Amino acid sequence: MTKYLLKRIVLGLLSVVVVVAIVMILIFTFTDREKIFNGDGIYTKMSNNDREMYKYSQWEKYGYLDYVQYTDYLMALAKSGEITEETRADAAKIARKVDGNSGVVAEYVAKFKEHYEAQGYKVLYLDAKMLTPTKLALGGKQQYFAYKDTPIINRMFSFFGRLVNIDNIHYVEDDIEDRGLTFTLYDPVYNTEDGTGEVVEKKFSPAIMGNGTRHKYLLYFDSRFPYIHQNLVTIRLGTSYSVNRNVDVFDTMVQTQGAYVQSTMTYPTGLTESSADDLHTATYSSAGTHLSTPILSDRFTDDYTNVSPYRQNKSRLGYSFVIGVIASILAYCVGLPIGILMARKKDKLLDKIGTFYIIFIIACPSLAYIFMVQALGRAAGLPHYFDLMKETPLMYILPIVSLAMPSIANLMKWLRRYMIDQMNSDYVKFARSGGLTEGEIFRKHIFKNAAIPIIHGIPGSILSSLVGAIITEKIYYVPGVGNMLTNAIALYDNAVIVGLTLFYALISITAIILGDILMSIVDPRISFSSKAR
Amino acid sequence: MNENLIDLTDLGLSEEELFTHVENSAADAEKITAPRYSYWRSVLRVFFRKKINTVILLILAFLVVFSFVYPIFSGYDATANVIVEGGKNLNPSDAMDKYGHNIHWILGSGPAGESVFDKLWSGSRISLALAFVCAIINMTIGVVIGAVWGFSKKFDIIMTEVYNIVGNVPYILLISVIVMILTASFWSMVFALTLTGWLGIAYFIRTQVIIIRDREYNLASRCLGTSTMRIAIKNILPFMVSVIVTLAATEIPSYISYEAFLSYIGLQMSDMSLGKIIERASASMFTPGRELQFWAPVAVASVITVVLYVVGQNLGDASDPRTHM
Repeated sequence: MTKYLLKRIVLGLLSVVVVVAIVMILIFTFTDREKIFNGDGIYTKMSNNDREMYKYSQWEKYGYLDYVQYTDYLMALAKSGEITEETRADAAKIARKVDGNSGVVAEYVAKFKEHYEAQGYKVLYLDAKMLTPTKLALGGKQQYFAYKDTPIINRMFSFFGRLVNIDNIHYVEDDIEDRGLTFTLYDPVYNTEDGTGEVVEKKFSPAIMGNGTRHKYLLYFDSRFPYIHQNLVTIRLGTSYSVNRNVDVFDTMVQTQGAYVQSTMTYPTGLTESSADDLHTATYSSAGTHLSTPILSDRFTDDYTNVSPYRQNKSRLGYSFVIGVIASILAYCVGLPIGILMARKKDKLLDKIGTFYIIFIIACPSLAYIFMVQALGRAAGLPHYFDLMKETPLMYILPIVSLAMPSIANLMKWLRRYMIDQMNSDYVKFARSGGLTEGEIFRKHIFKNAAIPIIHGIPGSILSSLVGAIITEKIYYVPGVGNMLTNAIALYDNAVIVGLTLFYALISITAIILGDILMSIVDPRISFSSKAR
Repeated sequence: MNENLIDLTDLGLSEEELFTHVENSAADAEKITAPRYSYWRSVLRVFFRKKINTVILLILAFLVVFSFVYPIFSGYDATANVIVEGGKNLNPSDAMDKYGHNIHWILGSGPAGESVFDKLWSGSRISLALAFVCAIINMTIGVVIGAVWGFSKKFDIIMTEVYNIVGNVPYILLISVIVMILTASFWSMVFALTLTGWLGIAYFIRTQVIIIRDREYNLASRCLGTSTMRIAIKNILPFMVSVIVTLAATEIPSYISYEAFLSYIGLQMSDMSLGKIIERASASMFTPGRELQFWAPVAVASVITVVLYVVGQNLGDASDPRTHM
């Protein structure tokens, strides 16, 4: 069993890698890379050569290519001591046109070209864009640089290499003292004395803190679900370009949303005020920031000053998961009993009504019946869209019902089919001849056998709620994960697309493997070991 | 002498007519005397045995005629903008007062002053055409590849891995990348929907072929030396007809639904399909006087898909030879 499972997991992971490769090839080679700038305000404001340079710098940032500026090359030469600082300064003064260079400049321009072309780079010299023969156009300064497209295989390696980050005490590159981890039983966030900033033993709350790490708090407790939190391991699925600029896809999914929640709190310096800052999220900014900025030096005693605020609403993943899980539970609670009843009362009225419902749901576009549910719910006085400012449990009803409807139809259809198939088997006839009542036969014999294929789908239906529901979330304005992929596609946010694909593929593979395990637990006849019984 | 016996001489027949030596014919001995059985005639007989099927078929015929014939005469132009003062977004009674009491205005006028009724049928023509074209392409490729997949064990190993991998590439992603590369025309949508769409059908057919392939009668047939080709065509294909028809019954409506879904999330064709009409009109869902602009296409899409599905399912039932008794 273990060996079989290991094989399944390895094969599954392999196919995830292939899927990511396919998607990367699709979006990085087949789509126009200029399109990522469609919604970029900075790009639109720039002009001429500056815009070109911005494009290359962004492409480098998002992994399209490797790009070296001439000035950086000279800087590196000067640093290694190959040329003097004066030569560097002289050589950096490139002329407005490529053939206008002379002397030391021409020599290094040629060297740069030779050096990078030998490595397979393309070297580009952008001539100055002039407004008048003597005046430069806006952003028209001459530029000289080399670039090389990153092959897909390298992108894959860097993507999977960055996937899981473990915070360590060597993260901070600046020169700081006392690198290391400390364990405290009294979390300073709760135990800082007002006014003095001293940590006193007021409230018991263990925490692991780091210095030299990216996050200040690596493990801590707070009053929010799931009460224990960690920052030690972070998952990086790729930095967003346009959907949620400069924020990682995974963070976009798990960050809380909505308005700030303020509470009275004491900063490490002892300043007490009403604020929404969550001190547990503090990350390192850069050496000396807290001293140079008065607003930070009033509050913080070290350079861990980047904090995110508390917000009142759930994260995207939170909304999708809550709605999806409740809808799955509802589907099983409603679909299974009706499916059983339909099989028992085959060809009676209930069976016919049920069949009509199944046909309607299968054939009808999902858009149509979700709109119908929305219209009916609105007529019944239920809130028919999500309002983050005034969140009430009633808002969840319509999305949950809309999401449960197709699952109910599916469960009814298959359970009825499986039960009717089982009804004619020999063991049922035997049980009946043994004198069992019909109820007992259905409950103890038929249902147990018919439910096995149904059980296989349970992990899938729960895990798929992490993927979100595109249409339901769009119609009810649910701020969930369902529309992230479509948004990313619409805005050409390629990093987000790749990250989400990996996330979806992992979920679907986990769901299938878990389903198989669950089925083999429930049904002892199913065995995955290679040995025949 | 028994009185019941007939005297042969009374019949007045010649010797040749009375007694002729019949040669032993191997070919005639193989013939089985049975009532004439025509497969497709039986399918139709079983199909029309249920009265409801006639009614549903009539509805389907009505929908198809309206979708494919009416737009030729209606003169609807998707790009036109009617400049009549106060002629836009009218409810049916106002529109009929304004433009005249004819069939064009029974659903009111739309945001460009166009007839909602004309737009509706032009949209369902595009949606239906897309669904039929995609279904024909996907079913053909899917059935052929599925049959080979089911028969060949080597092919099975490769194809199962391909299926597992391609199944995990988000479908929306694939479609949008294709729409991005090509233009959002009708045929690029067909290409996007058929690029991997056949895979699911092929997998389904493969499972069915495997189930039937190893039945006892096929083993017996193989033992008697029947070629694989003959087994495929004579023994397995008749069983597959009902499966294929039933599958087509779920496939065709599913493309209409899928097109509506894609339009709603923004992956639209350039043509005004039902899905695009629904998406464009979704703001008028609850706007008084304009509800029909939204609910009419939703209703037509639902009716078309449900009717197609039911006809297909019942035709699938009827094409199963076991129901012909």
